[in-house]
Amino acid sequence: MDSAPAKRRKLDHSQDGAEKALQTASTVGVSRSRAFVLETEELLQEVRLDYGTALEGADDLLYRIKGSIEAIKSQEPLLITQAASKFEKKHKIKIPFPNPQPPQNSNYKLAFEKPAQFNVVGSYVSKTMVKTQKDFGVDMVVVIPQEILQEKDYLDLRYFYKRAYYLAAIAATIQKEFGSDGELSYEHLNGNPLLPILALQPTTKEEKPKGRLDYKIRIIPCAPEGFFPKSKLHLGASLLRKGRVGDSEDQAEPTAFYNSTLAAEGSFLAYLKLLRQTEKKCKGFKNACILGRTWLQQRGFGSDISKGGFGHVEWAVLLALLLQPGGSQGRAALSTSLSSTQLFRAMIQFLDLSDLSEKPLVFGSGKTAEDLEEYLGQGPILYDCARQVNIAFKMGPWSAALLHQHAKWTRALLDKSDVDQFAPTFIIKADLPFHTYDLFAHLNYSEILDKVLGDDTAESRGRTWQLSSRVYSVLKRALADKELGERARLINIKTPGSSKWALTETPKSQAESELEIGILFDPQNMARTVDKGPTAGATIEEREECENFRNFWGEKAELRRFERDTIRETLVWGSKTPFGLCEEIMRYILSRHLRIGNIRDDIDFYGNGLDALLSLKPADAAIYHEAKTAFSTFEHDIRSLEDLPLRPRQIAPICPELRHASVKPPALKQSSKSGPRPMDCIISFEASGKWPESVVAIQRTKIAFLLMIGNLLEKSKPGQLRTHVGMEDAEFETQNLAFLDVVYESGAAFRLRIHSDLEEALLERQVKDKTVEQYLRQRATAHLAGFRRLYTNLPLHNQTISTAVTRFPALSPTIRLVKHWFSCHKLSNHFTEEFVELVCLHVFFTPYPWDAPSSASTGFVRVLLFLARWDWRSEPLIVAEQDEISNKERQVIGTRLEAWRKIDPTMSKTVLVVATPGETSGIAWTGEKPGKVVATRMTVLARGACQLIREEGVKLDWRRLFVGNLKEYDVLIHLDVKAVKECLKTFEHEEDEDEEEERKKKKYKNLDERVGMEMLPVGEHPSDVLLGELERVFNGGGGDGVLVFFRGGAEEDGVIGGVWNPLVAKRKWRVVKRGGGNYMVGKKRKNEEVEEEEGEEMVEVNREAVLSEIARVGGGLIERVEVKN
Amino acid sequence: MPSQPLTIGDFSVLPISMPPSPSYPKPTTHQLYVRRNTPKIPTPNDSRSLFITNVPIDSTEAHFRALFASLVGAGRFESITFEPENRKDAAHRLSSSSNPSSLLDAAVPVSSTRLLQAHSASNNNKKRKASELETNSDETLNSILLPQTWTRNLHPSGSSATVLLADSNSVTQVLKAISKLSTSKSKTIPPTWPASLPSVKPLGISLIKSHNRLRYPSPHKLQQSVDAFSAFFAAKEKEANEIAKRLRSLPDEDGFVTVTRGGGRNAPASKTEAEEAKKKMLEKAERKKEELAVANFYRFQLREKKKEEQGELLKRFDEDRKKLEAMREKRGKFVPES
Repeated sequence: MDSAPAKRRKLDHSQDGAEKALQTASTVGVSRSRAFVLETEELLQEVRLDYGTALEGADDLLYRIKGSIEAIKSQEPLLITQAASKFEKKHKIKIPFPNPQPPQNSNYKLAFEKPAQFNVVGSYVSKTMVKTQKDFGVDMVVVIPQEILQEKDYLDLRYFYKRAYYLAAIAATIQKEFGSDGELSYEHLNGNPLLPILALQPTTKEEKPKGRLDYKIRIIPCAPEGFFPKSKLHLGASLLRKGRVGDSEDQAEPTAFYNSTLAAEGSFLAYLKLLRQTEKKCKGFKNACILGRTWLQQRGFGSDISKGGFGHVEWAVLLALLLQPGGSQGRAALSTSLSSTQLFRAMIQFLDLSDLSEKPLVFGSGKTAEDLEEYLGQGPILYDCARQVNIAFKMGPWSAALLHQHAKWTRALLDKSDVDQFAPTFIIKADLPFHTYDLFAHLNYSEILDKVLGDDTAESRGRTWQLSSRVYSVLKRALADKELGERARLINIKTPGSSKWALTETPKSQAESELEIGILFDPQNMARTVDKGPTAGATIEEREECENFRNFWGEKAELRRFERDTIRETLVWGSKTPFGLCEEIMRYILSRHLRIGNIRDDIDFYGNGLDALLSLKPADAAIYHEAKTAFSTFEHDIRSLEDLPLRPRQIAPICPELRHASVKPPALKQSSKSGPRPMDCIISFEASGKWPESVVAIQRTKIAFLLMIGNLLEKSKPGQLRTHVGMEDAEFETQNLAFLDVVYESGAAFRLRIHSDLEEALLERQVKDKTVEQYLRQRATAHLAGFRRLYTNLPLHNQTISTAVTRFPALSPTIRLVKHWFSCHKLSNHFTEEFVELVCLHVFFTPYPWDAPSSASTGFVRVLLFLARWDWRSEPLIVAEQDEISNKERQVIGTRLEAWRKIDPTMSKTVLVVATPGETSGIAWTGEKPGKVVATRMTVLARGACQLIREEGVKLDWRRLFVGNLKEYDVLIHLDVKAVKECLKTFEHEEDEDEEEERKKKKYKNLDERVGMEMLPVGEHPSDVLLGELERVFNGGGGDGVLVFFRGGAEEDGVIGGVWNPLVAKRKWRVVKRGGGNYMVGKKRKNEEVEEEEGEEMVEVNREAVLSEIARVGGGLIERVEVKN
Repeated sequence: MPSQPLTIGDFSVLPISMPPSPSYPKPTTHQLYVRRNTPKIPTPNDSRSLFITNVPIDSTEAHFRALFASLVGAGRFESITFEPENRKDAAHRLSSSSNPSSLLDAAVPVSSTRLLQAHSASNNNKKRKASELETNSDETLNSILLPQTWTRNLHPSGSSATVLLADSNSVTQVLKAISKLSTSKSKTIPPTWPASLPSVKPLGISLIKSHNRLRYPSPHKLQQSVDAFSAFFAAKEKEANEIAKRLRSLPDEDGFVTVTRGGGRNAPASKTEAEEAKKKMLEKAERKKEELAVANFYRFQLREKKKEEQGELLKRFDEDRKKLEAMREKRGKFVPES
């Protein structure tokens, strides 16, 4: 009776998730994820190998190998040392003995007998190979006959020595047999140093048939099934006893990896059987395995130890076990009638619910999770009781955590019905260092290995592994300590993989001797500069805790008194940024515990280059905050005006500076270099019938209103602020005409525009009024769009971004970086800032296959990835959290885009569609610009950047991403930066109208008469004014201008690029009626072509004259106009 | 340089050499296209005016005065009108030359304007209008215009202008001079565009500086303009109201009384409002209906609902399939990235 409750408990744990998964999969799966199912089917089609052609000749090869092995003569047992030296002398082949080499004095004997059995295993037989995998191996298992083994061989590597000898014998024969038909080499099976195998790469003299892959045959010797007593191989046993200090069994360290390897050696065929059975029972199994394989592959997982030790084999076995009867009440956890996608979903849910590094997972009866918990220190546990093997024995605690994390992310994605589930799950490569980790470090261990580890060689996985696990445990305690608050959500370590080596050599020590450490931040916790440890109290427990803490942190730990008189152990760090803190902690703790980086710089950190590039400072957040406070003061000042005829209802900020999104933080100090730069806001009043019933009159009334607000403000705060009513660059009387600039003495400045709801109603009426002339209606439509953008969408957008910025600490720097990137590539004048912000926000809202970025660099890199992948021709971008926009609405947006594309296949208008919950039409920020060409350019640039990031890896110099290529422009207009800056300063009474008078004034040359005069606010940046005029003059008609201008941010970019528009370079002669905007100066050519067309004469753009015009308009602002050929 | 073509279409080509500027030190040639002005609606001045297209973007009257002086001597040039300032849609345009009274007309609500028009058409009350114009002297009208923020306007590239010359003889002379310019074998130098003229405000830095300054007109001037506007606006509105009032009781020629707003009835004021009201009513009715049919009261309702859902599902399935096919065409979407 005792076992029953235990069993139930265990089953509860392992099956609960799976059963839930099953339920959801069956109820939800079909209807909700039709697209996903269809897409996965397509994927399966695409990756499936055509075995006939791809692996042509493999079967023949296998037979040939089998034949030659069977022909090997048996060999009498010889003492190991004798046998080895004799063999090596005779065949000139090294025997790949695992380390340590067999001792000279051992007295057991090596022999050779024909293999007991041959078998082809793995994905070749189950036909689950996919096109995209790295190398194609056909695995052939050769079972070593019982006769030459002894039961005691499980001890002290004896079996492995014998196995190595056996393998070498086979190698010798095959080398003779194949000669130059194949290339032979040794490899480690799954990077396991205990298990060398033989790889045969067939070389063909004739041309390789099309479609045939470079496959290789891997010959894997293994132990007969059930030969070693499984009871001796349990996880806690210590089987490497020689050379240990305490020779008795109790004291020795358990050798879990060694034991599991040995157990797995005897169960190749058992698992083969299991998989074959499951395949037969469950139709979807094979495809689910292919899906799993693809999923794992995109995340960098593989059976190899250096790839996490969880590959498609482990996936298949785990899935087969879940399909195996014997779960709760004897039933299987998953039904065999599930489809492949359902099985895949169930597996993902299962992996999400079970963290292998935290809790052992047990299948079958015999052992319980509690039994095995004590062995977790050795590695993650996924125990198959029937075969008594820990399937996860090749995994490290970090790879188990990573697998769990990935499963969690994918599950979150699969639970979302409204986003693209397919591409992030199977298509996007999710193991790129900069996309995944916030900090990446390379630990060069080539010279410190011995120093750190001493001469303890008990670890069968090798010393690299030993070092990694030490590093991991130290880092985990330091960065992911629950009591201090987890700074890191994930710590991953990647060890270098093993490579093949020639038969005549000993295995090479790994060429690259670097551990790759990836850290994923918890952005909130990582920014903490003070760690509060345990309280220093009098009780024994408290004292112990403190002792423990001090032991770990060393001299960094100090006692500090906090509020409410608590005295606690404390750590104080000097860095300010999350990245800096993480680096500081890592350097400190690794050097303290492992003496890494003490003398030489063994460790390099990557991932910080971006912050430095834009000099993003943690202090910036404070400046933004200050701006917000200044805004609240401003709002309060206006609200407390008593003589206003209408009560203000809302005063809302609408500029990037007030939503943490401007490239440079707002300037809140008065400077002598430039006039105040006001921040935009709008004010709306309570509803009133006093507004005149005419848009023109409303605009004039607004001016009066602004004048009044200005007067009242100046009166209520004498000496503290100045106000200026400024004129808008409006073209028509029906547009907003004026704004009010309020400049505080303290430095902050605001620009206020008035919102009147009647204006909107009137414009709407005009748009709908069919009796009004067409051009008026069109204009009203344009004005209405402008109105809504300014007064409805912008305040809402400001709010959205502000909220998101507080929710995602990495959002603000990401936005700023991306804006900088746009600016560096001279795209800023084509993309609104709001568009860029929404794209960034989208990456945070739907970050799949990852989680929301937790640092600026991951955010930036993923925004680029998104831009590179976004197919804006057919997909609208919908920036919303789940449920903010219903599925139906999403469909409507999609359909609308489709309709637009049908009407306007050349995309002359509305190229990008970006919808938000507040603005579902999707064209508020992208309605007028960019054009198709510019949008394509953005995509191309993003693709280039992504490729560079991928190719260069962590060593990438970030600056390369931010270098615009000036060669691509036909014309470069170099602005005179000094003159532009000079234009930022304007003074009220300085009038050059009467130049003579001014000359008189300058009687005293050493006295600047402007001293003491207040500068006017900057209406618009001079560079913007100039570009605006050029745009208006040359591209006024919207679109087909002669010259397309490209420029970055007004502040940063001193060069305007220009590209001649090829579409209008030449055309037929006609007088352009208004709005043509084309600059056509006929340079008529006496050319037959021209004459042919019924006397129609062609003209082409007079480029030189255009440039001369630009030069004349720019005057002193333009330093030079450079023309490229 | 190859010999310049004489004409293109019915235009004569007038090459102008442009002076080099410091930032683009290359002398260039700009072509003007000139012909007699023959607008669709003839005006008395047509015989002595020229139509020019492709004027340089920085053209001003002074530039053209100088140009024509060098071409045919001083005293021939009278004035120049640039497009599109004289077009009809200039009504709402913010610009010095737009007619202030047209601005006022535009300011008045559309409905009232229509009333005014109807009124003046039916009553032929020309006398009244004339008197109105008298009272609004040009000076006061100009005061309602907002202060200028640019010292100089740039013309859209490739736009046109009409030049008024002293007499029709001058037109012929100009055209002759142009054709001479291009035919004569002797190297006649094309007329030069004046680099700077004393009466013309400079471009470049000072254009932008002055713009940034002029954006902030003195509050006093601004207030005046706004006040003037509201006075005029109030007067206009009052007038419109009065006419409306009068029309309410006055049958027109055919004996109909115009129905106008403010008659004390509670009818919806405009067409759009009526439409809205109708829509609301319909919505209400719909909601009521739905409420009645709610809760799957009858069995057939359930059945129908299920059927509908199934149909919907099928439809969506089809849609997905189509989408997939479109994706398949594009290819590459289904291959995992490496």
